Amino acid sequence: MEDLGQIHQLIVPLFGHELTFNLEPIIQTWIVIIGLLVFGYLATRRKGIIPGRIQAIGEFFIDQFYGLTEDALDKELSRKYAPMITALFIFLLFCNWLGVLPHLGEPTSDLNTTLSMGIMGFVISHYAGIKKKGLKTYLKGYCEPLFFMMPLNIIGELAKVISISFRLFGNIMGGDIIVIVVTYLVFSLVLPPFLTAFFFIFIGAIQAFVFTMLTLVYIAVQVN
Amino acid sequence: MTIAIDTWIQVAAFTGGGLAMGFGAIGAAIGEGFTASEASIAISRNPKISGDIFKSMLVGQAIAESAAIFALVVAMILLFTDFTGQSVLTISVLMAAGLSMGLGAIGSGIGSGFPAGEACAGMSRQPAMSGQLTTNMLIGSAVCQTPAIFSLVVSFILIYSNFSGQPVSPTWAAILGAGFAAGFGAIGSGLGGGLVAQTSCEGIARQPTSAGTVTNIMLLGQAVTQTTAIYGLLIAFILLFKGFAPTESLGAAMALLGAGLCMGLGAIGPGIGEGATARSAVRWIARNKEATAELTRIMLVGQAVSESTGIYSLVVALILIFVI
Repeated sequence: MEDLGQIHQLIVPLFGHELTFNLEPIIQTWIVIIGLLVFGYLATRRKGIIPGRIQAIGEFFIDQFYGLTEDALDKELSRKYAPMITALFIFLLFCNWLGVLPHLGEPTSDLNTTLSMGIMGFVISHYAGIKKKGLKTYLKGYCEPLFFMMPLNIIGELAKVISISFRLFGNIMGGDIIVIVVTYLVFSLVLPPFLTAFFFIFIGAIQAFVFTMLTLVYIAVQVN
Repeated sequence: MTIAIDTWIQVAAFTGGGLAMGFGAIGAAIGEGFTASEASIAISRNPKISGDIFKSMLVGQAIAESAAIFALVVAMILLFTDFTGQSVLTISVLMAAGLSMGLGAIGSGIGSGFPAGEACAGMSRQPAMSGQLTTNMLIGSAVCQTPAIFSLVVSFILIYSNFSGQPVSPTWAAILGAGFAAGFGAIGSGLGGGLVAQTSCEGIARQPTSAGTVTNIMLLGQAVTQTTAIYGLLIAFILLFKGFAPTESLGAAMALLGAGLCMGLGAIGPGIGEGATARSAVRWIARNKEATAELTRIMLVGQAVSESTGIYSLVVALILIFVI
């Protein structure tokens, strides 16, 4: 219970400012990245018409998310963005499931991870929008329905970043806190494995999917 | 004086526990009642699979109940933990924790009753789709619980954080405001998310081939519906962790309380409205799968417009916190 809300930080002084690093999420994110690289290597090591077990899992992800991207964007754009969307989902899924392992937590229960993913989606979607429509049409979109609505439209766009990152962060951190508190209340008897399965595996998978779909939709809204 | 403070802390703990469980019991009961009534209709329509429908009803009710169980946990913690000997701020912390959880459980409780009821009705129409319907209902109801989970998180943070270093005024108002923002803010989104999940179950029963698409669009609609609850969570976090300069003025304190109330109450309408938008979109995507792209776009635009009032509340709340 005492370690609730405690964060290990590394503070590096730099020209009069302080750079703060949250050590745990960084290490966990690297574990996820290495895990994904190993997964990618194993899935493509012996490519064949009849896929092996790991290749089949990889193909499943690719198949599903290339299909979803094609539904949302047109053919040309979807070829460009589908790899990013697939990678985003697999990364978030592994992040959310990392907490199942003992002594590890989810990098996504740190706001920095989810916010950086949200900002990434924001930048990519607006880049796609400017590239597709041209800068003039893009800027004109902010003056709708009337020009004085511009500040609210801009706040609305920024609120998208907040909502997408806080949704993932709140769900994962909420699951963490509930599991810790309930485990403490029932003296670690009976309940914890079920709660872990529900909050980490089930909710984690749903929220990773929701985050990915929202990023995809943000791109689609900017492009159309 | 210390005795007086301890007495007030106890008063706050008991009141908070009462508020948490009292408000928290409203939603789940309504939702479960709705589920049971739909299940009765379904069984009378198709008595042959009454066993399956009964099972599905119980599972759905169990999920709808989880919001009330969250409230029960918070109420139990408030009643049986010894808070005496802590600072004056604990009085407001305990009240806020109870309010946040109690109010936050209303929407999710009612909301997750809807998909459960509709899943029972769907099974009576389309018994072959029972498995798919149950899966969809579980996903939909679980996502409905998200706003209640946000309120629970705020309650736990309130109870287990140490505010003793903060100045009493205006922090007491900020803490109460956080409770209101997270609690009221969760009502609309919980209810709205339930509406979306309800029609997705209906859609799958009507048109089994569209099951995958319907589940995807349901998740999207629910996610956007939750946006205003997330604004409530954001305002609650800002109020809890910003750290305010000590002040004697009641005006500054009231501005923080007002910020919480503004965001909380302002989030109710958009939550329900966005849910209604997504409800119809999901319902008609199931019947007319070819129009999925068009309907999704209209749904997102409609939700964005309906959300704009929530954004006004967010702007006013932020002005109250940072400018005034």
